[in-house]
Amino acid sequence: MDFWINFWTIFFIASLVLFAGLAIVVSIGGFFNIRSLFKSLTNRDGQRAGNEEPAE
Amino acid sequence: MDLSAIGIDTNFGPVDWCIVVGYLIIVVSFGVYIRRYISNVTDFIVAGRGLKTFLAVATMIGTELGLVTVMYSAQKGFTGGFAAFHIALAAAIVTLVVGLTGFIVVPLRRMEVMTIPEFYEKRFGRGVRILGGTILAFSGILNMGMFLKAGSIFVMGITGMTEDIHLKVIMSVLLGMVLLYTALGGMVSVAVLDYIQFVVLSFSLLATSLLSIRYLGWDNIIETVSALKGEAGFNPFHSEGFGASYVVWMFFLGLVSCAVWQTAVIRACSAKNIRIVKKIYTWASIGFLIRFLLPYFFGICAFVYIAQHGPLKSIFIPHEGSADSQVTLMAMPVFLSQILPAGFIGIVSAGMLAAFMSTHDSYLLCWSSVLTQDVVAPWFKKGLSSNARLLLTRIFIVAIGIFILVWGLWYPLGQDLWDYMAISGAIYFTGAIALLVFGLYWKRASKVGAYLALIAGFCAVVGLNPVRGLVFRLASILGLETAEIQASINGMPGARLSAIIGLSVISMAMVLMVAGSIIFPDRGGSSEYKE
Repeated sequence: MDFWINFWTIFFIASLVLFAGLAIVVSIGGFFNIRSLFKSLTNRDGQRAGNEEPAE
Repeated sequence: MDLSAIGIDTNFGPVDWCIVVGYLIIVVSFGVYIRRYISNVTDFIVAGRGLKTFLAVATMIGTELGLVTVMYSAQKGFTGGFAAFHIALAAAIVTLVVGLTGFIVVPLRRMEVMTIPEFYEKRFGRGVRILGGTILAFSGILNMGMFLKAGSIFVMGITGMTEDIHLKVIMSVLLGMVLLYTALGGMVSVAVLDYIQFVVLSFSLLATSLLSIRYLGWDNIIETVSALKGEAGFNPFHSEGFGASYVVWMFFLGLVSCAVWQTAVIRACSAKNIRIVKKIYTWASIGFLIRFLLPYFFGICAFVYIAQHGPLKSIFIPHEGSADSQVTLMAMPVFLSQILPAGFIGIVSAGMLAAFMSTHDSYLLCWSSVLTQDVVAPWFKKGLSSNARLLLTRIFIVAIGIFILVWGLWYPLGQDLWDYMAISGAIYFTGAIALLVFGLYWKRASKVGAYLALIAGFCAVVGLNPVRGLVFRLASILGLETAEIQASINGMPGARLSAIIGLSVISMAMVLMVAGSIIFPDRGGSSEYKE
């Protein structure tokens, strides 16, 4: 049983540390991704509206 | 269950209510506002295929780390102890392997399909798509049938509300909010709200873990689990605990939940390119690990806390037999309501409720798109317009919402929520895994093999308690002797039974896929798919 106790203890601590790192990186990176997603959706809508305007 | 009658009061106060209500209003308003960015069905379902790595990772973890996951995992931690950690380990290993190899998800993204049944059509023909889509939607909707109930039990446990009417009111209010912004915003709002939820929930879960350890003490946690559960509380292979068949089943479930389950695969389909698909899965393996691990730990902490508090112990860990599954589901929220300080408990609850909504929005969006794209649209030879598909998807979202409200109130759970989820999902994925693996990697896989595998997969429905009861009743009406089988099934732990049923059905689906393809090969190359 001692093997499993030690194994899960190390596994749990390592996972916590790993996830804390991931949470920081993804939070920062995700913010910039959202900005660029909105920018691309807005630009594409603008282009589509431009294409639909009748030629004068 | 009236906890205040035994002197158990919650730390959840007026400040926490303000935090929760304020947070939810902001989140829902934001989701509705994002509607302006939706102009066609591709934007609605896969966000115009514009998700980059970090946002895709956040939405994937945001969806999978929902309140329901936290609830059923905490229940598994409560009943299984540290041995339940093996499920998290299996999920992480399998997701990492999928990320590194691109197994299943890369070919799917390369084919630019939006749903798995769309792949069925490209590979096996329209009939397989309609049957596969119907089974997928049936299984998926059944699978999310307990979500509302689990979410409401969390709210009741953490706020101290105990009346039955509270459950109904909370379920209705939560559902109304989710329907509002999912029906309007689609995948763009889902992605952004999943991101917000990821940030709030990640940090609050990490903080809650540290607070739990500080409150109970690591040595105390280990000693209590050791004293009350023995080796079965740590060793997943122990015969009194999960057992080897359950561990194997969990590896299959790990593969399914990241590479076969439509709500996860839709993230791969939404990714900008194949390189990003692989990156998402590699990164998300940590998320798939944590989404189980931390809730298991909260369940274990709840077990230790309750074991050391007499009045609670008599309810949650009775001397004779085991507590009802609805009671063990409430253990984790009750524990959090006791140890988290006022203010912080509001933030955690708001994060959990946001998680609840983010899982719901993704699932509602996913199953409604499957019904629209794969079950209804293929019947129209000239196809459906983008506007008609969008309208239909929104109608299905509301219809599914009403169904899960009724199902959540009516269905008697009677087993661990995780096992209910696994078996209801197995109705779809046991067949789907055969179609995906053989369809993508074996040229001789045929339409007949695909039909047989899908039908075989549907047999997993007997894993649900009421269906099994019905089957035995039918057998006794027909005069068949089933008493011995019933006795051996009743004597088996529910978790092991679901594992045996799941593994048997997967094997059957695989065998039928291969046999059907060899005996009845496709003629004339009806498949459009070329590797």
